[in-house]
Amino acid sequence: MQQVLLVRMGEIFLKGDNRPQFISALVKRVRYAVKPLGGRVESVQGRIFVHDLGENAGLAERRVSRIFGVHSLSHALEVEKEMPLIEEAARELSKDLTGSFRVSARRADKRFPLDSMQLNALLGGVVLESNPALTVDVKQPEHTLTVEIREKAYLHMKKIPAVGGMPVGTDGKALLLLSGGIDSPVAGYQIAKRGVELSAIHYHSFPFTSEQAKQKVLDLAAILAEYTGPILLHVVPFTRIQQEIYDKCPESQTTILMRRFMMRIADRVAKENGCEALVTGESIGQVASQTLQSLLCTNAVCSLPVFRPLIGADKTEIMDQAQRIGSYATSILPFEDCCTIFTPRHPVTRPRLEMMEESEAKLDVETLVEEAIRGIETLRIRAALRN
Amino acid sequence: MIYLDNSATTKPFPSVAEKIAACLSEDYFNPSALYAGGMRAKALVQEARGAILAALPGANRLVFTSGGTEADNLAIFGVAQALRGRRGSFIASAIEHPAVLSAMERLKAAGHEVFFAPVDESGVVKPNALADLVNENTALVSIMQVNNETGAIQPIAALSRAIKAKNPRALLHVDGVQGFLRCPIDLGRDGVDLYSLSAHKIHGPKGVGALALAGRPNLLPALYGGGQEEGLRSGTENVPGIAGLGEAVRAYSRLPSPGEALLKMKLRLAEGILSSVEGAAVNGPRPDEGAPHILNIGFPLRGEVLLHALEGEGILVSTGSACSNIKKTASQVLKAMALPSWRIEGAIRFSLSPQNTMNEIEETIAAAQRLSTQYRRFVRR
Repeated sequence: MQQVLLVRMGEIFLKGDNRPQFISALVKRVRYAVKPLGGRVESVQGRIFVHDLGENAGLAERRVSRIFGVHSLSHALEVEKEMPLIEEAARELSKDLTGSFRVSARRADKRFPLDSMQLNALLGGVVLESNPALTVDVKQPEHTLTVEIREKAYLHMKKIPAVGGMPVGTDGKALLLLSGGIDSPVAGYQIAKRGVELSAIHYHSFPFTSEQAKQKVLDLAAILAEYTGPILLHVVPFTRIQQEIYDKCPESQTTILMRRFMMRIADRVAKENGCEALVTGESIGQVASQTLQSLLCTNAVCSLPVFRPLIGADKTEIMDQAQRIGSYATSILPFEDCCTIFTPRHPVTRPRLEMMEESEAKLDVETLVEEAIRGIETLRIRAALRN
Repeated sequence: MIYLDNSATTKPFPSVAEKIAACLSEDYFNPSALYAGGMRAKALVQEARGAILAALPGANRLVFTSGGTEADNLAIFGVAQALRGRRGSFIASAIEHPAVLSAMERLKAAGHEVFFAPVDESGVVKPNALADLVNENTALVSIMQVNNETGAIQPIAALSRAIKAKNPRALLHVDGVQGFLRCPIDLGRDGVDLYSLSAHKIHGPKGVGALALAGRPNLLPALYGGGQEEGLRSGTENVPGIAGLGEAVRAYSRLPSPGEALLKMKLRLAEGILSSVEGAAVNGPRPDEGAPHILNIGFPLRGEVLLHALEGEGILVSTGSACSNIKKTASQVLKAMALPSWRIEGAIRFSLSPQNTMNEIEETIAAAQRLSTQYRRFVRR
């Protein structure tokens, strides 16, 4: 009798000819997640099994349930397909339970001599006999003992829901503009959930923003990496650009001009790194730089499509999702990601494109962008084991 | 690297690191064990105890703790517990370390009477204002020896006289984490009943400190267990840490007139910055009146910006106490001194140690002058 983590795949079953490729992407991700825990991964007929987890089964559950493409998990007992062993496993799993139960058997291996109905009846009897605190209820049981007959027999009491979505790496690559705030990690999560591999870009204004602010972004990327696998993070030195805008352009436009630089740099870095889209955490009207006119102005400098998965979401909805993902507590740590010195007191909310272009004519945009890109520091961020 | 954040922590002396390594690799035994190794471990603890008592006039008992915070907590909760359910009155200055302030808040929540004594513009507690808060129920007053953010030295002897004149039974606890070895104190002469100290502020290891007792103040333990430290602090002794603390005290005491050297560097730093950075002002007492190792200056630009700019040049300083940086609130200490807000937002704390040199001070003055000129024009419009 062996403890095993049984991993069920999500909608990748629907995907016809691509299926083997999707499964191998998912197996790779599961392997990456359980490797530091000592787990051994095996993929057989549409199921992934993780063996040898021992004490780390709980940690593995959290890590694996966060892999896009995983539909649900169960901590199962694995035994050979022999009735005495199956019965023993059924007794073991049900020994501490009270209340009502039923057995739900599935015979995927049709060569097995007993069919599902027969298994249900037989194992139900075995459990009832060994644990008098249980009664049978096939309609609304408190507990369900699931038995799957495959290459081996798997028995478990609980199906743990996982994130779903599609395995990362099955549909291209995008570059996420990652600030230290609440929104951008959530936006990255949503795009990655559809199988898109993420890289990230962050703008750092030393000494106006601190090393802690940068570390916070690294931490957020590490949280995202729990779902997406390792993330390449490009940290762009942004001080020079902010100072130039501060010195030469109208105060009310500074935020929009700054964001145009960010988008310009992101667009170029994305193309250089094989990314096919940009991702931002913008949502309409949240701040002055996210009105329709502002978005038009910042969008105008991009050649790649810009995905804004939160565009119609309320702040509270985004906050709830950040809580679920586990990024919220880190996002609200009080290190500024954009020093307020450069934040206008009265920003324009209806900027016109010509106005922005006129202001930028006072700047050597091309040189500033090139200089910033040359100064990029690229870090490979891995998922961290944390509390 | 020029390290001027010695009030946050210090670099251990080489002899401290050696002592700790020996404790970990050779004399790792439990001091309570009956065989020779255990006795050697016990001797190491006693040796450290002796070194500290020798350096702290008037102390006659020492309880080793996990550091300054635990020592402060033991003093405050130890005295409160000893009231055995009676409601007591407690006083702390408004500029105490959070280890004291939070403990006091906790006592307040538990139903005790708690007062906070105000400070003047240079961050010094006034004996009269403190005496006004003392009543017949006053169980404990907690005042720090040296303020960690401004270097203000508190007039402990005068404060003790003022307290005891109104209530001779009231105990005085002094948080000496920033003062021990760097500013003189005599627990007997100055009327101090309990005194906290920490190893890592004097080039010892982190995770160890002590509460020194003068006389026999009535105190109950915060931790119960095997009865170590005369029952006041159970738990197997942190022998490497304690031996490291003892060695730090010995090594510090061997330095030739460290106080003079510190003061000389501090005065030059203050003079150099004040004469070259227009608008800079000292937050706290006059430099020659404060502790010799702490200088707080309000610069005419955001403290964090200057801090990071200095960091970019390898000069490490702080904007206040390391603990309160994380909370991102303006310094409670500077607020209590009622300074104008620009001096609080522009505050930089330089804290020196005998390991610094005059050359480092000159480099720091030059960098502070250059960088504050470079960045001060970027202010929110």
